[in-house]
Amino acid sequence: MKRTLAIARKEIIAYFTTPIAYVVFAAITVLGSWFFLSLLGQFQRHSFELTRMGRDDMLAHMNLTDQVMVPLVMNLALVLMMSVPFLSMRLLSEEKRQGTMELLLTTPVRPLEIVAGKYIAALAILTTALALTLSYPLLLSAFGSGDQGAVEWPTVLCGYLGLFLLGASAMAVGMFISSLTSSQIVAAFLTLMLLLLTWVVGWKAVDVEGAAREVLLYLSSTQHLISFANGMVELKDVVYYVSYMVLGLFLTHRALEGLRWAA
Amino acid sequence: MIRVEHLSKRYREIVAVDDLSFTVDEGEILGFLGPNGAGKSTTMRIITGYMPPSAGRVEVAGFDVFEHPLEFKRRLGYLPEHPPLYPDLTVREHLGFVADLKGVPRRKRRTEIDRVAELTRIGDVLKRRIGNLSKGYRQRVGLGQALLASPPVLVLDEPTVGLDPSQIMEIRELIKSLGGEHTILLSTHILAEVAMICRKVLIINQGRAVAFDDLETLAENHEESGRSLTLEEIFLKLTAA
Repeated sequence: MKRTLAIARKEIIAYFTTPIAYVVFAAITVLGSWFFLSLLGQFQRHSFELTRMGRDDMLAHMNLTDQVMVPLVMNLALVLMMSVPFLSMRLLSEEKRQGTMELLLTTPVRPLEIVAGKYIAALAILTTALALTLSYPLLLSAFGSGDQGAVEWPTVLCGYLGLFLLGASAMAVGMFISSLTSSQIVAAFLTLMLLLLTWVVGWKAVDVEGAAREVLLYLSSTQHLISFANGMVELKDVVYYVSYMVLGLFLTHRALEGLRWAA
Repeated sequence: MIRVEHLSKRYREIVAVDDLSFTVDEGEILGFLGPNGAGKSTTMRIITGYMPPSAGRVEVAGFDVFEHPLEFKRRLGYLPEHPPLYPDLTVREHLGFVADLKGVPRRKRRTEIDRVAELTRIGDVLKRRIGNLSKGYRQRVGLGQALLASPPVLVLDEPTVGLDPSQIMEIRELIKSLGGEHTILLSTHILAEVAMICRKVLIINQGRAVAFDDLETLAENHEESGRSLTLEEIFLKLTAA
């Protein structure tokens, strides 16, 4: 455990001494703010129109959670998927390129401790990135108004739980790909492609019917976020993300063990 | 302390190490010589558990690298050919990290880092980032990290490469003083270094051992026209084939 934490700590120092963490945080904040502002503008226009038309019945259904936060969570998922590859790319490929894998493999550390330490650091960075975007619902609750407060926090936090699980599963996959190559660019590119594939695989579902449709929808990473974003935690969605995570971690561990035999 | 039995390493059709056997006794410093590409670094990588051999076995302090990898690695300090350092960390951060990996207790960490910094003369760069250090300093940080936690066995792959003459003298003295307490396998290209530090040498050529003897015995066994050959002449003769 001590070694796991030492590796996690070293990894976090590396994230912040290289510009990568700052760049990704800045990009997430800029893109996130853009989505937030456009959704907010839409909300504003919509409620203004309804007021002008005197549709108080429909106006009563307008709320910041459903019209701003739920779609924002889905938009943030896209931003997250684009960012994770750049956070996961260096995890193991950097050790290979730098030759420091030789240090890790000749000190009394188990491969499991290496994988766990790296993953903990990656999750810490992911959590920080998500925490930055919590400023949007915080702004809404500070300045907005509604029947039961401006935003329904349980729904919002549930959406963030979904985002965390999505990011964590993507991070595990990215870490595995990073363990396969000593080139960070290759690792980032492959991870991005793979994440995009799991994103768009659901689009094909409109063309097919029956079991095939169910399978395609189940494979799609965003389909599983929809319930979370709307404030529902469903077992099948949790299972989906957790299986990705476990698979990614397991394969990384295997790759590390295998590395010694291939050397 | 180090026991190597019938070690072989093949990369497809290339044979890097061929049926190599030797032992290093406790407290001994064994000089490990051979021309470039003779298989020195490969042998050291296998001995430190970084690479598996194709055949044969390695034991350090009675522990087999495959049966007890952690016990094995706990007793071993390794300075590879290219010191594996994190350029983004400061020297102190880096040594602290390695101390944690080696299981140095938290409260002893600081004194342990200061101890190796003193030995390898890197006290003045502890706060600098490794990426900004000169080759000589990096080499010494690498040596310092091998010495952390005082492992009984040290495997040093060309420890004086990239150092200036006065640093070379310092590091040689340091390695010499480490003998007795530590068992050391020292690879080098500089024959004078071996004559200065070691009593015994192992010379390999094309993956095979061509000499494994005390320096004195080696000189006695290689005489030409009434005089003993120098280590240099013996080396050239043995590795000419």
